[in-house]
Amino acid sequence: MKKLLFVLVIASLLLTACGGGAKPAAGNGPVTITFMMWGAPEEQTVWQAVVDDFQAANPNIKVNVEVSDWDSYWTKLNTLFAGGTPPDVFAMDAPLYLDWQSRGALLNLQPYIDANPGFLDGFYPQTLTAYKLDDGYYGLPRDFNTITLFYNKDMFDAAGMPYPTGDWTYDDLMAAAIQLTKDTDNDGKTNQYGLWTDTWDMELFWSELIWANGGEIISPDHTQTLIAEGGARDAWAYIDTLYKEGVMPTPATAGEYGGDLFQSGQAAMTTIGHWAVPGYVASNINFGVAPMPKGPQGAATSVNSAGFVVSKDSKNHDAAFAFIKFALSEAGQKRLAELGFSIPVLKSVAESDAYLKQAGGFDQKVFLDSLAFAHMKPVFKGYEEWAGVVGDGLIPVWDGEAELNATLDEVVKSADEVLANNK
Amino acid sequence: MEYGLKPLGREKLWLWVMLVPTIIGLAFGTIGSLLATLTLSFFDWDLIGTPTWAGISNYVQLFQNESYMEAFSNTLKFSAMYVPSVVIISLLLAVLLNRKIRGVGVFRTVYFLPTVTSAVATALVWNMIYGRDTGILNFMLESVGLSPVCWLCTNNAMLSVVIVNVWGAIGEGMIIFLAGLTAIPRDYYEAAELDGASGFQQFLRVTVPLVTPSIFFQTLIAAINAFQAYDYIYMLTRRSGGDSSVPVAVFSIYRNAFHFFRMGDASAQAIQLALLVAVFMGVMFWWERRYVVYE
Repeated sequence: MKKLLFVLVIASLLLTACGGGAKPAAGNGPVTITFMMWGAPEEQTVWQAVVDDFQAANPNIKVNVEVSDWDSYWTKLNTLFAGGTPPDVFAMDAPLYLDWQSRGALLNLQPYIDANPGFLDGFYPQTLTAYKLDDGYYGLPRDFNTITLFYNKDMFDAAGMPYPTGDWTYDDLMAAAIQLTKDTDNDGKTNQYGLWTDTWDMELFWSELIWANGGEIISPDHTQTLIAEGGARDAWAYIDTLYKEGVMPTPATAGEYGGDLFQSGQAAMTTIGHWAVPGYVASNINFGVAPMPKGPQGAATSVNSAGFVVSKDSKNHDAAFAFIKFALSEAGQKRLAELGFSIPVLKSVAESDAYLKQAGGFDQKVFLDSLAFAHMKPVFKGYEEWAGVVGDGLIPVWDGEAELNATLDEVVKSADEVLANNK
Repeated sequence: MEYGLKPLGREKLWLWVMLVPTIIGLAFGTIGSLLATLTLSFFDWDLIGTPTWAGISNYVQLFQNESYMEAFSNTLKFSAMYVPSVVIISLLLAVLLNRKIRGVGVFRTVYFLPTVTSAVATALVWNMIYGRDTGILNFMLESVGLSPVCWLCTNNAMLSVVIVNVWGAIGEGMIIFLAGLTAIPRDYYEAAELDGASGFQQFLRVTVPLVTPSIFFQTLIAAINAFQAYDYIYMLTRRSGGDSSVPVAVFSIYRNAFHFFRMGDASAQAIQLALLVAVFMGVMFWWERRYVVYE
């Protein structure tokens, strides 16, 4: 009895110890690959459809899709890498791409791209820039988002105001926002804001505004934060005015309303990407879309893309690329367009009915046309930490607890330190 | 000390069988990860590549890392406000509820409720209480003619967060003190009363000295909780991008390890925090030997 027990205990210990190691070798037999992504439950359904199509065409490859929400996605990914069992294919947000690529986590896809001549021809070139490095692509874009101005038609109609157009300047935006900010029940508190947008991360508003004022975000060698130089200062002063005029809810106030005040019908305008469309449609917001306003230095918006990358340590590189290739084919991209969150990277699909004739009743082309004056959302090492220093650093200003210019100087100093630490 | 029962023969075997799962869990889960953290704190590791030896550089860098020092000082400030508040308020509460009053069970339940409620859910409710425009607290301030306060803005966030954490912890503290209070014999109070001691004097001269074991225990628990506090704080102060306006040490450890690819720094921070807790415990035990009265 004692001996048997001893054997059992040792055996179970050995089993646990070996558990992680065994993996099927890649051969001609069926292989299973794991595809991990962040996203909403609806996205899982669509991706499962893409995977089913892929498996039908490639009976030898089985794909397991794992979807997590944004926050837990990155934690999970890090843990899997630390444990030496990374997923074969996973989703990447362009700004974070270099953090992963520079650490040797990703496979260089260039040999596969070379083996498939013409593979990248149909892509919007702006979406490829973020992933292209000196020695090739370590990732490929899957969809992209340009930022545009959304407006609530009902609120404009009620105020008897004309809808925003492509000729609008930021002064027009400010004037309209002031006019549309209302205290409808006269209790001394605003019930309808002229504008709501997020000023924590650069993507929704402040990068566009800086570019439209002729400023820059970061030096090309990624060592200097330029958000307080030249025209950029005017951009921040503009945002400060939006908050001070009370036409935009401060971060503390916006938090009370659960974030998106445009979706809850409490803001007349917002600047956001196409991913917000399904939510706005579901909330029955009667909205239209216009390009971002023009600044002193012309029109500017931001383009960002989500993409696919393959783990260098994956045992199934070929199968992983086969899956990416399929997801980026017209069939795969059409499915994505049906989902309605983001814009397909394939020109042929974005300019087809699959994308242009979606629900919403507004001009889908605005998002595509914005590419003409779009700047790429910067991609550099330490992005997340840098964005935190800038976004958090300025919140006291927006909440009315600190002065803009002095805070901006401090923020730039800390942001440059982050860049130095992430060299 | 002599125990009445000792495992014999086959019992001994089963004793081990029953203990093995716990021992394995402890060995791999607790002691294993502690040793792993200690080891990693001497390495630079980005979770993807191979760890490289870093000597004590991670510890040296702790003191040059502004954001960690801010997080660490937030933890200290938080603890300095949280621990005394929890101990004092829950003791007073226990004294109040240790009397024969109508509905004492209801009161005890009400104060204990936060302990058994999900921190995430209560933090959402507190968000509504603290709201600047729509919050109940500001509504009350305004209705008595005071100007509204931005409770969760950067300047006040720490105080607001301490209030919520204290509120969440006094129920548990109250139970511990109630147990301590019921153990004090009634005759002591009768004797004090005969000698003409007032209620307050009785509390100070009889109650407090006799509940020192509970005070000691509650201070220890509150301090450990304070150094590890995270859930309420994060839920109340989180911002877009996964950031927090009151970053505490535990938050910094998590962010460095799983978001900034700096497992070595995060491990050094964790070890430093553990050492600090250990030092505090040492002080507490020294204090126990001097001041705590066991019956």
